[in-house]
Amino acid sequence: MRIWQGALMLLLCSLVLVPAANAAPDAKACLACHASMQGSVEKEKGVLVDLNVDADKFSKSVHGSFNCVDCHLSMASQPHKGPAAPVDKAVQELANAISPKSRVDAVAQAACVNCHPDPYNAYKTSVHGRNVIVKKSSDGPVCTSCHGSPHYIQPRPSMESKVYLYNIVETCGKCHEEKFMSEKYGFSPLVWERYLESFHGRKLKLGHTGAPSCATCHGSHGILSAKDPKSPVNAANKKATCGNAKCHPGATDKFVAAITHKPFHPIAHYAEIGLIILTVGTFMFIIIHVLLDIFADIRDRLFRKGDHHG
Amino acid sequence: MDKNIPQEIERFDVSARIQHIIMFTTFLILSFTGWGLKYAYVEPSSAWIKVWGGAKTAGIIHRVAGITMLLDFIYHQFYLLNLARKRDLRLTIIPMPKDVVDMVHNFMYYFGLRKERPYFGKFTYLQKFDYWAVYWGMFIIGTSGFFLAFPVTVSALFPTFTLGWIWDVLFTMHSDEALLAIVFILIIHFYMEHLRSDVFPMNWLWLTGKMSTEKLKHHHPAEYDYLFGPKSKKENK
Repeated sequence: MRIWQGALMLLLCSLVLVPAANAAPDAKACLACHASMQGSVEKEKGVLVDLNVDADKFSKSVHGSFNCVDCHLSMASQPHKGPAAPVDKAVQELANAISPKSRVDAVAQAACVNCHPDPYNAYKTSVHGRNVIVKKSSDGPVCTSCHGSPHYIQPRPSMESKVYLYNIVETCGKCHEEKFMSEKYGFSPLVWERYLESFHGRKLKLGHTGAPSCATCHGSHGILSAKDPKSPVNAANKKATCGNAKCHPGATDKFVAAITHKPFHPIAHYAEIGLIILTVGTFMFIIIHVLLDIFADIRDRLFRKGDHHG
Repeated sequence: MDKNIPQEIERFDVSARIQHIIMFTTFLILSFTGWGLKYAYVEPSSAWIKVWGGAKTAGIIHRVAGITMLLDFIYHQFYLLNLARKRDLRLTIIPMPKDVVDMVHNFMYYFGLRKERPYFGKFTYLQKFDYWAVYWGMFIIGTSGFFLAFPVTVSALFPTFTLGWIWDVLFTMHSDEALLAIVFILIIHFYMEHLRSDVFPMNWLWLTGKMSTEKLKHHHPAEYDYLFGPKSKKENK
């Protein structure tokens, strides 16, 4: 893998060096300006390009050893007289698909697939990928939507990774909790909230190593709609998914009904209200009772000294 | 004081005292570990759960303590049956219409409408409430906790029509009623047995099982009269 990556980088460097001898292929050269530039420029109407790249964070990221032009393959339309290297077919295909969504530098955002073909192939078959590539929808996520800016990507077991077990809940939740999303695609509203309230979410928060977060059950790059018969959370597959030897061996249909991420059923809702009324009512009663008893005790000690010890 | 009247009487035998110790130990453990899960998103919780050995260990401790408490409760039923078999069981803890009268009298006393406290029996209405609260807790928190601890096995018992809400109801029952139990104990039980000026810092009855006859006469006059005849009833008035 390393040799292959190195070879690719060598190839890319030589490619960019030939047509543009003046352009700097080295990340340092780009960062000389971009590390200190602040703010953003408006590329087209409503499309803001953030000019700053944090050189320190970039160098510590998994891509820290890369040259900018490894991903920014084609800068023909940009202020830089940069490389206009022929772009790989897969990259161009994805770049074309995401260009309505990613108007800053679609090629750079699609360049991930050059080095990560397997996640890309899974993504193409996923409900996210099909939405973006086939349906050309602006809703589906591209690589950077979940992984964050490629300049700062951290390895997955890092607390700073956006797809780390603990952080992915927010990463997925941000989109999946949006009202128009649940209305448009028919998935349960409040998925994020209901996950956080569940035993799974609470245990994950408390650092339970076996607690699942989104991708544990739903899958990641190849994620499918729960309606898809191949989805691990499809009604037909839930038993096998939950019944995983590490989780709930022997899971039954009745058991897997426990986790749906759906809002409270009216019965559960009214049961909760009933319990709250009972709890608050009991609190009121005992607090008043105790306070009265304290007052009576003080009164007796002050004014009925003889009586008190009976 | 009459020579026939002892200095103190036994209110709780050794078995009852041990049952109480098991009950409150498991209750505290359950509260401590459960609180962290209930308020998982309130910040000290993660650190607090680490004190208990992490989420996994805390979960195991919670389950073991819960089952111990359930067993203690079941044992108590056999203890009562045994007392009944020995014809030693007085139904002094059963709520009676007199408890309503006592409560009215007690509130009248609080508001200065009566000179003395009600003519309480062996257990006051609050003590009865405290006792039966455990039954309520066992029914609501104990069952739901048992179901939640063994969800795969227990789910077989649930009829299909309940599946849309039963898990949420069980979770709410367990969590809300546990809070009720904790606050109830913190307020009523701690006030009655620890903070009240006449017992502070605590009522040693839980260890000794004994109450001085003088205290009995003051706090449970009806019981005193039951044990030591009507003579003291006159004295009391």
